[in-house]
Amino acid sequence: MSKFGVDLEVHIASLRRYARALLRNGADAEDLVQEALTRAVARADSFQAGTNLRAWLFTILHNVHVNQVRSKAARPQEVDVADVESKLVTPARQEERVELREMMRAVEELPEDQRKVLLLVALEGLKYDEVADMLGVPIGTVMSRLSRAREAVRAKLANEGGVTLRRVK
Amino acid sequence: MNAHRVTEDELHAYVDGQLDGNRRLAVERWLADDPDAARRADDYRLQSALLHDLFDTVLREPPSDAVHDLTDRLKGRIALNDNRPAWHARPLVRFAAAVMLVVAGAAGGWLGRGEEQRAAAPIAQQRQTLATFAEEATEAHRFYTSDERFQVELGADNQDELNGWLSKRMGRDVFGPDLGRVGFRLIGGRSLPTDLGAGAQYMYVNDADKRITLFVGAPQAGNPSKFSFTQNGDVSTFYWVEGPLAYALAGRLSKEELLKIAEAVYADVKAGPPRRDPPPEKQPQQQQQQQQEQPAGVQPISDTQKAKDS
Repeated sequence: MSKFGVDLEVHIASLRRYARALLRNGADAEDLVQEALTRAVARADSFQAGTNLRAWLFTILHNVHVNQVRSKAARPQEVDVADVESKLVTPARQEERVELREMMRAVEELPEDQRKVLLLVALEGLKYDEVADMLGVPIGTVMSRLSRAREAVRAKLANEGGVTLRRVK
Repeated sequence: MNAHRVTEDELHAYVDGQLDGNRRLAVERWLADDPDAARRADDYRLQSALLHDLFDTVLREPPSDAVHDLTDRLKGRIALNDNRPAWHARPLVRFAAAVMLVVAGAAGGWLGRGEEQRAAAPIAQQRQTLATFAEEATEAHRFYTSDERFQVELGADNQDELNGWLSKRMGRDVFGPDLGRVGFRLIGGRSLPTDLGAGAQYMYVNDADKRITLFVGAPQAGNPSKFSFTQNGDVSTFYWVEGPLAYALAGRLSKEELLKIAEAVYADVKAGPPRRDPPPEKQPQQQQQQQQEQPAGVQPISDTQKAKDS
């Protein structure tokens, strides 16, 4: 395999994991990655050797996702039954550990902006400035989203851990 | 003098390993005095660990055919506009990428490791154990580099003695590689219990007073030899299995820096122990006896005492 191929496969594995965590549905996630890679192939010329390939790929994926969400929102709300079914059936993978189930739920309940930042930083290990570039927001915004996400998850895990002390909000 | 207050952002950067050395120290000092903040840092780290537990399974699932094909096409396309030595062409980075790939593909998916995959479950379990080993190494690093007073049980004044003692504790020949060529000197070691039996921790320091530890353990036989990387907060750890032993190299260093050292350790370990001393003859009963004779009883000694030896 070319030297280059190794790097690329690592990044794509990372994209797939991020997509899965973001969408929580295997088929949707794979579609998103596929769409992003199609776009990447079409735009391969715009990638400059020596720049950050990983950030480039994540940015493309992010843009594709934003467009998908936008076009879905524009369309009348029609839901494919098969789609819903697959969504209903997918979980239950390996979340036997209570902690994991709670973490999953806490992440799902985060507003999407916060969820993205948390996943990009805590799961994918992107640098704050890379996340800022990718999302097109100032780094301060990244930090405040990260902070809010972590505190929200923390509050939820703490709550679930014992007696529910309070349900704020 | 360090009137610089620690900010909220720095706490996150600390947890995410995105803080430079000076500020990291400041954060650590703050955390030592502020249990609430320390708990938050721990919780944040736990969140990251849980996210990995939840989603790393994806790395073991083979990509769809479409994604696979697109990967190949993209490889061809991008490789074309890459005609100068770029970041990914540097050997170190390539090695790092290969290591990451091994982590990503560890469970087999697209690496297709053939015979060793007869049964997926035991492999997953082994990896778990190895991952646990790496966690322990990271924890041990964090703990024993935190207080200069009990960093090592036995100093490195006499390396043969140190290696011999740790080999006895572990029931296997271990040694602390010479890392002089990457700027680190051995200051000593300690024996620690692990999930997988007795483990040995060697500690090194460089001129900038940066510490790294090499943790050696004995996993169950048959673990495939692979390089893995994990980052827990600001501590980076490379771990791998070589022969009957597992190694974890931990330090508060960037992945690239640590990688350089890991390569040196790997090369030394492969080459075997320094030949100054034939490997001690081991007799099972004697070994056991010695293990009992050597409780945590060896006086903790400070490596600060050892400054004079240079």
